[in-house]
Amino acid sequence: MKKIFSIICLLAVIQSGGSQAKVFNAETFTLDNGLQVIVVPNHRAPVVTHMVWYKVGAIDEPQGLSGMAHYLEHLLFKGTETLAPGEFSRIVKRLGGNDNAFTGQDYTAYFQSIPKQHLPEMMMMEADRMVNLKVPLDHFALEKKVVLEERRQRTENDPKGLFGEQMRSALFVNHAYGTPVIGWMHEIKEYEWDDIEKFYQSWYAPNNAIVIISGDVTADEVRPMVAKSYGKVKAKELPERLTSTVPPSIGDTVMTLSHPTIHQPTWQNIRLAPSYGQNKTDSLALQVLEEIMSGNATARLYQNLVVDKKRAVSIGLSYSGSARDTGTLSLYGSPAEGVSLDELAVDVQNEIKAVITDGVTEDEVKEAVQRMQDSADYARDSLSGPAMTIGFNIMTGSTLDDIENWPEDISGVTAEDVKRVAALYLNDDKPWRRVSVTGHLIPMKKEDEPVAKMPVEKEAAQ
Amino acid sequence: MKIILTFFAFAFLLSPACAREESKDKVLDIKKVKSAQGIDAWLVEDHSLPVIAVNFTFKGAGTINDSAEKQGLVRLLSNTMDEGAGDLTSQEFQKALNDSSISLSFSARRDDFGGSLKTLKRHKEKAFALLKLAINQPRFDEEPLERMRQANLARIRNSMGDPDWIAARLFNDIIYEGHPYALNSGGTLSSLPNIKADDLRNFHEKFLTRDRLVVGVTGDITVDELKILLDDVFGALEVKDQKDNFKTIEPQNSGKTFIYNKDIPQSIMSVTLPAMAITDPDYDALRVMNYIFGGGGFGSRLMEEAREKRGLTYGIYSGSAHQNYVDIMKVSTSTKNDSADEMFDIIKAEMTKIASNPVREEELADAKSYLIGSLLLSMTSTDKVSSILTSLQADDRSIDYLDQFERKINAVTAEDIQRVAKRVLTPENMTTIIVGKPAGIEDAIQKDSLPNVE
Repeated sequence: MKKIFSIICLLAVIQSGGSQAKVFNAETFTLDNGLQVIVVPNHRAPVVTHMVWYKVGAIDEPQGLSGMAHYLEHLLFKGTETLAPGEFSRIVKRLGGNDNAFTGQDYTAYFQSIPKQHLPEMMMMEADRMVNLKVPLDHFALEKKVVLEERRQRTENDPKGLFGEQMRSALFVNHAYGTPVIGWMHEIKEYEWDDIEKFYQSWYAPNNAIVIISGDVTADEVRPMVAKSYGKVKAKELPERLTSTVPPSIGDTVMTLSHPTIHQPTWQNIRLAPSYGQNKTDSLALQVLEEIMSGNATARLYQNLVVDKKRAVSIGLSYSGSARDTGTLSLYGSPAEGVSLDELAVDVQNEIKAVITDGVTEDEVKEAVQRMQDSADYARDSLSGPAMTIGFNIMTGSTLDDIENWPEDISGVTAEDVKRVAALYLNDDKPWRRVSVTGHLIPMKKEDEPVAKMPVEKEAAQ
Repeated sequence: MKIILTFFAFAFLLSPACAREESKDKVLDIKKVKSAQGIDAWLVEDHSLPVIAVNFTFKGAGTINDSAEKQGLVRLLSNTMDEGAGDLTSQEFQKALNDSSISLSFSARRDDFGGSLKTLKRHKEKAFALLKLAINQPRFDEEPLERMRQANLARIRNSMGDPDWIAARLFNDIIYEGHPYALNSGGTLSSLPNIKADDLRNFHEKFLTRDRLVVGVTGDITVDELKILLDDVFGALEVKDQKDNFKTIEPQNSGKTFIYNKDIPQSIMSVTLPAMAITDPDYDALRVMNYIFGGGGFGSRLMEEAREKRGLTYGIYSGSAHQNYVDIMKVSTSTKNDSADEMFDIIKAEMTKIASNPVREEELADAKSYLIGSLLLSMTSTDKVSSILTSLQADDRSIDYLDQFERKINAVTAEDIQRVAKRVLTPENMTTIIVGKPAGIEDAIQKDSLPNVE
């Protein structure tokens, strides 16, 4: 359990509801200690999801101690001054609830879904482990073995997992996003309790957290519970955040993995793009571009390259704009038989060029926006979904108002905007184009011949 | 085979639907609906959101009917039924769905063929019209059929290096040896090209029949509205009353261990045992026993021993699976190659322990309070509820099954659990399958090639 979202997801900023309506009609208030509380009432069943999001993730780790934020997340289940290791989850289960946690580059989140009458106890327990973590040393050592197994399971057991890490490292030069959330194998083995404790003491504080409750409660019901639990925790002075910037590069990187376990050739191309927090206008336009290019089975890339021209068996464009720092744009696909990866890259580039040159139609934009707005109508058909969506986006640069008003904001995107961002972020012709990292997964022939004679660096296809 | 990327991927617990409108004693207020033409459905009305979800199953129309040379036929049917119907070509049909944000999909399961529809209320008429077309007049045009075939071939090639996928192939082949369940329901590289449009048409005509149909509906729709739509969508289906003729089996290769050597750092392991059917009087005891043993994740005995006390794995789970012709109990985990034998010993020791001694009173009470308390969490969105309504009917459960759940779970005793453990958790009957380079596993049969892939 304890999941990691190492990549910040394809999920665009949330969904929204009909154009005038707010998506979630959430209520919010802030305690004196700086803790923001958000309540999304949903009275369809007597249950709630309770989440606490800390604005600390892998991006905040000191150099050489990769995976520490995630490791700390595991340790939060290992006891406090008053709870024994494992007792937290046992109590949640006994009360008929489910709990878990996950760590990303920008955040660490803990949650329980549970019958509503147990919400006050969940808040007491969550507030307790915000400040009173106490992990027996033998459990500290044991859990490290667990995380090493987690890394083997998620990454080391499949060369494609390792290759994905390597691609991100090549893209995020001089940046924490180039390090996997779970950490490098050799570094996970190294850190000591003192390192982790310092990290915990620095970042786990009410003024660095948001509590979100979605379900059968109102803000007025929640206020006294919050005051009694989180309200007792003192604010802290937070450390300065480490930041770094990806420097300009002049050459594209092409990486190739030819391996006996690969049987399907695959092509992927990743580049940097602004996150929502960095550039709201362009981010919204990129979301619409993504929907038009890749949102469904009649979107441009699939329609043109898979259905009509039979150049690919799968294809897509994905924009990840939810990041505290910079976001990414990826193009990916598997070629049809007889089409090489380089040829597929040219085909995709031609589709992009068509947008840059001729733009997209008003109808395409209108239909894309309508579908995106419709998805907001579905968004409330969920207990934990609203809490997940709100937390994830606030951690990565949105405000609650941004999320609530997303349907209206997205409807402001024009065909001209879509053309402009395509030219700005996907144009591979101009000298000022953005550099990208391309990955080729290539089956290894039985004779063991070097199938791939890809140069280490080359210009992207025209 | 559409690409649907939405942030809903996050929502493991979707929304809580319905529940407790008037009837406080009922878990769900389920109405039995019968249309003018006699189509039955179970309905939970919920007008709090403008969403409608429909779920349906054609019983016995699953991948079990695939032949070896046309493995993947039913899967391919599920991929192509929404790729053109009536006058609409594949792309016209998909565009009609997309333009109104209607989700329609079909699924091929081992025993059954299923489908689900989700729509906003304002697109209700169009959604049901498209469903009607897909069910009654699918076109199976060559272009989308070939496209779906290629997508499946790519999916198989893409999975061939994935140790979990490899383990699943071996599992089917070894556990269900000699039975249609042993085949690859997703097809093989050589079987998929054998499947023609006429095969899909024939199967569709023969198996998607009214006598096999069960329907569950949830959301912003009334009984009277539903009656009309049921007749419209399903009324034209024929009744055929064919008998399915498969033999019931126990898991095969009992007592044997198989290893597929793969150069990876972690071994993927499973052990499988025969279990009892869902109609067995001990089924409820099996559920509680499984929760305590390894079904509950954190706090379960297997997780405590293997992960919390020894750090041997990221996860270990047990669970029972019940098909029409086989019932199994399975433990799955993964651990670094060097620890494989230790893990194997832990699993066996825990089986013996729970079969030899009654569970502690506190364990039993905790298991019951979880299973009962969390029931609502499993029905937290419109489509989850409609899917539960269909499963209950497909399993021939009574309409008050969920209301009886608490009483039945509470009735389970420590003696019941020990009896069930003795009956099911018998280490000498285990079939063990390992993918990796496990250390210290003796008397294993080496598997050199993957069945039903090429």
